[in-house]
Formats: sequence, C-alpha cells, structure tokens
Amino acid sequence: MSPELRIILVLALLAVATAAGLLWKTKTGRSKQVSGGEVIDLAEIAAVKDGKPVTRFGKRVTFLQFSSEFCTQCRQTARLFDELEQVHSDVLHIEVDITNRLDLASKFNILQTPTTLVLDSKGRVTSRIGGAVKAQTIQNELGSFEI
Amino acid sequence: MSESKKSPAGIDPRGPRFGAAITSVLLLVTVFLALDAATLPAAFALLIAITALFLWGAIFGPAKHPYGFIFKKLVRPALKAPTELEDPRAPQFAQGVGFFVAAVGLVLYAVGIEDGLVYAAAAAFVAAFLNAVFAFCLGCQIYIGLKRVGVIRSA
Repeated sequence: MSPELRIILVLALLAVATAAGLLWKTKTGRSKQVSGGEVIDLAEIAAVKDGKPVTRFGKRVTFLQFSSEFCTQCRQTARLFDELEQVHSDVLHIEVDITNRLDLASKFNILQTPTTLVLDSKGRVTSRIGGAVKAQTIQNELGSFEI
Repeated sequence: MSESKKSPAGIDPRGPRFGAAITSVLLLVTVFLALDAATLPAAFALLIAITALFLWGAIFGPAKHPYGFIFKKLVRPALKAPTELEDPRAPQFAQGVGFFVAAVGLVLYAVGIEDGLVYAAAAAFVAAFLNAVFAFCLGCQIYIGLKRVGVIRSA
C-alpha cells in the first residue's frame, strides 16, 4: 500500500474517532422526556441515603441516579446533585449502585452509568438522563417542576 | 447492598488521560505500519509493547504505570492542582479492556489472520483517543452492559 494511501486511511480513522467523540459529547447528559413513566418503588430499589432507607420522595423533584463501579462520571454527577440538594430543600437525590443489582439494570434498561431518572413528587418517572449530568440540564429539569 | 467496599485513594484524572494520549499516538502508528505488508511485522512488535503496557496498567493500576510516573514527574508539576480526584479503578478497568482488544489483535496475527491486527489496533485507538480528548470513560459506558450480558461475573 502506498504511503499516501496509508496516511489517508490513518487520517480517516482520526476523523471517524473525532466525529464519534463529538457525537457522544452532544448526546451524553441530555434529558429525554418519558411519557407514561412508571412510579418508582423505593423498597424495590433499596434506596439508602445517609445509611437510612429512603421512604419518601422529594417534595418537588427526586433525582434517582444509578451508578456502578469503575465509573468516574458517577462521582461528578453525584456531587452536582449534592450541591443542588444543599440549596433546595424540596429536591432529593438518591444514588443506587447497580453493580450487583443487575435486576434493576435490566428493569430500567441501563447500559451506561450514571443514568438518572427524574421523578415527580409522587415518584413517577418524567424524564431520563443518560451519562454525566450537566449543571444546565439539572437547572432546566428543576425549572419544569416550578411550583 | 454491599457498598462497604473501600475506595482506594483518588488520583489526578489527567494522569490516565495523559497516558491515553501517548497510547493513542502509538496505536495510530501501529495502524499506519500494519497497513503495509512490509511494515506489518513492525506493527506486530509495537502492538506487543502496547499490549504489555496495557497489562501492566490493568494489574498495577494507572499510578504505578510508566506513563503515570512520567505524568507525575514531568507533567503534573506544570499543571494546577486537580479540581477533583478520580477512583483509579475506573482507568484500571479501561486498561484491562485495552489489553483484551490488543491481545485479540496479536492472537489473530499469530494464527495467520493478519488483518485482525489492524482492526484491533484501530478499535483500541478509538477508545484511547476518546478517553484522551473527550474524557470518555469506558467503565461508565460498557461495564454494566458487559455485566448484563454475562461477560463479566461478579467478583
């Protein structure tokens, strides 16, 4: 194979990888509306917060974050939600590690972590955020639950 | 829930990304060499070295990796303090995936399927490049999927 052709192929590979990266960057962390979402069963997901089982939803909105082992972005996302909780007392953040809860992973069809479900005050899923959550996305979600 | 597992000390997340940048350059060179029959053996030799480095990272973790040392000695002093630390097990998992993909390429080449090497190197390149440039995290993207299809069993 000629050196020119090899260079073109290598550059093409670089271009494909860059395009894939840009596409991933725009798609990840975006919120998708869920219509007719189910009501989350807090006992089933065994949600624990500060060492205690979670028994009620946030008064305004609950962010249910599914995390796993080996997930750097789960930590970043959890920190964003923690900061949000400090500011808004009617917001609840629950983090569930699904590393050993594959039943939950398949029930909610989770392929990547973090995956965050946005729940209304009754615990019904209203939207879903795949990937690391951006601060702006949270603010938009919060805005849609304005009381 | 078994969340009592202790997380190891956090590392500067830019360290593994620095390593991924070196790895992606080496893999791109491998692809270039593998595209011509005359330089294919050189590509094979280079991929052996890259595979060994992946294995090292997968076993000992990113902090004890040669690239980790280079980062600590030469790069980090020139940077500001990191805004947050990363669990080293995430990049360690990615190194394991890299090792697997690169090793498949080596095996295919060794058994006579020489085209396998360039495809494996290209696939590993894409992952390393996405990690270096876009902070793409393999552990976040594929770990749960692999577990769900049963490729990875619970330890």
